[in-house]
Amino acid sequence: MTDDQPRHGRADSAALALTFFSLGITLQVLLIDRGASLWNALAASTVIWSATSQFSYLAVRDAGGGDWAAIIAGAVVATRFGILATSLVPRLPAGAFRRALASVNAFDPNVAIAVQQADERCVEREFWRVTAAMMGGWFPGIVVGTFIGNVVGDIGRLGLDAVFPAALLSIIAGLLRTREGFAAGLAGACICLALIPIAPPGVPIILSVFGVGAGAVYAKRHIGVGP
Amino acid sequence: MTTLSIVALTVAVWGQRLLGGFVVGPVLARRPAMAQVLGLVPAAVVMAVIVQLSVADGRSLVLDERLAGMLVAGVLVWRRAPFLAVVLAAALTTAGLRAI
Repeated sequence: MTDDQPRHGRADSAALALTFFSLGITLQVLLIDRGASLWNALAASTVIWSATSQFSYLAVRDAGGGDWAAIIAGAVVATRFGILATSLVPRLPAGAFRRALASVNAFDPNVAIAVQQADERCVEREFWRVTAAMMGGWFPGIVVGTFIGNVVGDIGRLGLDAVFPAALLSIIAGLLRTREGFAAGLAGACICLALIPIAPPGVPIILSVFGVGAGAVYAKRHIGVGP
Repeated sequence: MTTLSIVALTVAVWGQRLLGGFVVGPVLARRPAMAQVLGLVPAAVVMAVIVQLSVADGRSLVLDERLAGMLVAGVLVWRRAPFLAVVLAAALTTAGLRAI
């Protein structure tokens, strides 16, 4: 924990809003390209509240996986948000409703800023400030993306299929910079690579969770903590 | 997306956030070692999703323009480039190579 209290300035908010705006557009264009109706695409991206889960779902369906395999893969990658909520909620002011409202909005950028606040009174305020910037980009993004989905044409020609994996890499960069995080990430990637040709679609993503074993072993051997 | 998938993913995503905040969080506060291991789950799983999205085509592995875009993104992430620069570079690299 640092003593300085990182604040989310106007420029940061604008960059974050632009980021979520572009992610929202990308996801909707992809959904429309896969045959979703306007209302289906809008409803999905409004209520699910996890682009990662939607992209994972689509990736498994694209690979020929069934609905449930894709749903489970989408649910497994959403563990990230559950873990983010574990570090956020204990820092929030008491009150089940306020805590629940914040926890269902836990994303990487807002939790990262909120938990860095040394002053407990600032945690909740900074969390919602960053959340507002994200939502301010996301909702216009999914509306624009849904309605331009039909005119964009070939998403491959625009390189839009490379947007989300690049975005995900940027999101987990902080974790990959730690040695145990890198070990876990590398193991997860290798498990997935090895299983794609032999396992049913969806299974490689679901089983990649065992990549944490490599990270845990590394942490135990080199840092002295771990199970 | 199917209606089933929208409902099921909504329950899974919202449920895990609430479960994390209200059930797992208090337990982890007393068990730092378990918290550390659980904190590594996103690294493993998200890297798998990245692999699936960048080198898989159905059930076969393919090395195409997407991988080039991801390599550029990887270098930029490593050099701590801002998010939008990473995403734009990946898309432009992939699109550019396809246009050649």
